[in-house]
Amino acid sequence: MQDDLVIDLQHVTKRFAGHTAVRDLSLMVPRGSVYGLLGPNGAGKTTTIRMVMNIIAPDEGTIRLFARDATGRDLSHRIGYLPEERGLYKKMRVLDLLVFLAETKGVERKTAKRQAQDWIDQLGLTDWALKKVNDLSKGMQQKVQFIATVLHEPELLILDEPFSGFDPVNTQIMKDVVVRLARLGTTVLFSTHIMEQAEKLCDSVCIIAKGEKVLDGRLSEVKRQYGGRNVVVSVDGGIEALHAILEDRALVAKADRYPQYAEVELTAGADPQALLESMIRQRLQVRRFEVGEASLNKIFVDLVGKEAATPRAEEEHRHA
Amino acid sequence: MHKIWVVVRREFLEKVRTKWFVISTVLGPLLMASFIVVPILMAERGASERKILVVDASTDGFGAGVVQALRGPGPIQAELVATSVGRIESVADSLNALVGGKALDGYLLVTDATVADGTVEYRGKNVSSMTDMEILRSVISRELLTARLGRAGVARSIVAESQIPVRLRTVSIRGGKVTDSSGASAFMLAYAVWLVLYMAILLYGVQVLGAVVEEKTSRVIEILVSSLRPVQLLAGKVLGVGAVGLFQISIWAASAWVLFRQRDLLLRIVGVQTGGVMGGGAFPEVSLGTIAIILTYFLLGYFLYASMFAAVAAMSNSEAEARQAQIPVMMLLVIPTILMIGILQQPDGGMAVALSMIPFTAPIAMPVRWAAATVPPGEIAGSIALLLGTLMLIVWVAARIYRVGILMYGKRPSPRELLRWIRAS
Repeated sequence: MQDDLVIDLQHVTKRFAGHTAVRDLSLMVPRGSVYGLLGPNGAGKTTTIRMVMNIIAPDEGTIRLFARDATGRDLSHRIGYLPEERGLYKKMRVLDLLVFLAETKGVERKTAKRQAQDWIDQLGLTDWALKKVNDLSKGMQQKVQFIATVLHEPELLILDEPFSGFDPVNTQIMKDVVVRLARLGTTVLFSTHIMEQAEKLCDSVCIIAKGEKVLDGRLSEVKRQYGGRNVVVSVDGGIEALHAILEDRALVAKADRYPQYAEVELTAGADPQALLESMIRQRLQVRRFEVGEASLNKIFVDLVGKEAATPRAEEEHRHA
Repeated sequence: MHKIWVVVRREFLEKVRTKWFVISTVLGPLLMASFIVVPILMAERGASERKILVVDASTDGFGAGVVQALRGPGPIQAELVATSVGRIESVADSLNALVGGKALDGYLLVTDATVADGTVEYRGKNVSSMTDMEILRSVISRELLTARLGRAGVARSIVAESQIPVRLRTVSIRGGKVTDSSGASAFMLAYAVWLVLYMAILLYGVQVLGAVVEEKTSRVIEILVSSLRPVQLLAGKVLGVGAVGLFQISIWAASAWVLFRQRDLLLRIVGVQTGGVMGGGAFPEVSLGTIAIILTYFLLGYFLYASMFAAVAAMSNSEAEARQAQIPVMMLLVIPTILMIGILQQPDGGMAVALSMIPFTAPIAMPVRWAAATVPPGEIAGSIALLLGTLMLIVWVAARIYRVGILMYGKRPSPRELLRWIRAS
């Protein structure tokens, strides 16, 4: 099992002058997963990712990649990294730049050229391949950055706030590419403070705040653990028929009654399945039984606090 | 190692493709060509005659002698206007109009006082021409000598015979051997060495500064550091820009050599008849040893300053900030420049020796000394050893500052923070 961890952080701590950016963080990303590193701005996401990439070294703890003690830079040919603050050489031609960046990751020049051209065609930049980066629109530059990240066919993608600043159309294109690569077996670690993105893409998440882990696990488990306590039920015979069940204090903490249905809040630890079973046992004709999944955003706000969850515009990346 | 090569190649190709490189590479030889052509064209233009009048109010015909002396192939042709002391000002007034109307370049007022105490006056529009005035002065003083000796009874022919101009030929001795180059050309070579080294180290050092700042401000550095070690990046950058420098200097040196060899052809193209006789002095003899010394010190000096510039750039957040922060580094380079004349006049003096030993000034001072005089091998060895040692230390410090600095944004670090950067492992 341990061998199948692509990223394995154990008790990692990083201090900067004056504050601790990451405290005792353990993080395990299994092969093939799409892993979301979530947290408000300044939570330590970028610091964590930079440590994974060995751009900065942790003060304490160990980091293993692909079950080896090698660092992110030594393995750069196996990793596609898209930093949060990203730029390109403005005066270079798009194709030259992509070939250069691939070469720094150890791709052979010829191969790099062919693959760069493939991706350029794929993302609709064919006419721009020989133009200077400066002549490209911001959206096109973002595509180029993205190509540079995936060009060398990495096994692991590390994307730091990948969609920040993208327009909706590009965001969709990039998401499609990430999903496609994930389906082909690429492991993806990406950080975001936008929960809707994580909800759509991730199968596992880790929420950190103020440099510490708040929770982690598979998204479905997280949702079951922290959400799933709101159920909407409706049976033949209307609200009267439900009366006995809604009075069961072992299951139902609170119920809002409406003529045709009820919104039920289960007691802590109660399983929605138990509610359904008792309804069936009473031979009720179930017309509607809907477990309202709490959104990741709600879980996040509940855990981290409203204040922390709201991105503050003036928060600077250097604290991140 | 391969990754460094990738960085070097990108740096070299991208730099060589810039407009800046193309323009400066072409401009260099053009400038050199103009150094050859312009002085000769100027001399050529100087060959057009100036017409002046000698207004002679002396009683013994001194003016006629001056006119006689100016006759011949010289650039100033004179004619005599005899007058008297009483009318001299009114004659001058009427001549002013002629000078204004460009029929005349000027006129010389000669009186008895000229022979008595050397007072003489020239009015004209070419008074700012040093050569013209020098010609007039020397002709008049020679005539004065002749006139006064004549009064004492010395025949004119004897006076003429006794005035032999001195021609001092200087030959520099290097390593106990007489060379072909004259003292003047040794000076010229030293001067050229200084100019080339100063320009090259500054020019390409600043290029490194610009390259590092560009990577930082455009944030491309964030992508680069994920696959390249800062040391690889720094080394690639410095080597790449250095290669551009060597490439450009080679082009310049080759074109200088060709231009000089073909200067007759060049002059004929711009329409100057040389008749095979060249002015402007011989091309200084550049030995292989001199080239080796220049190259060695250029490379060492360039690496030294380029790493300092890179460290400075890594500390800065913007082009403007870097420009300000580079001033202390620049000053180190400017010092030997300010003291240049001192080194040239006394290549073996205490100051010259000291400057050629101090690692920060040695890259320029030592080759200049070498070009101007004979430097003991021991001093060269000592200077290179000191320079190499300092270079290694500076590269080590610069790499550490660079490594931390490239990912730091915001406030510029204080000296104390810098120390922490350097100590951080």
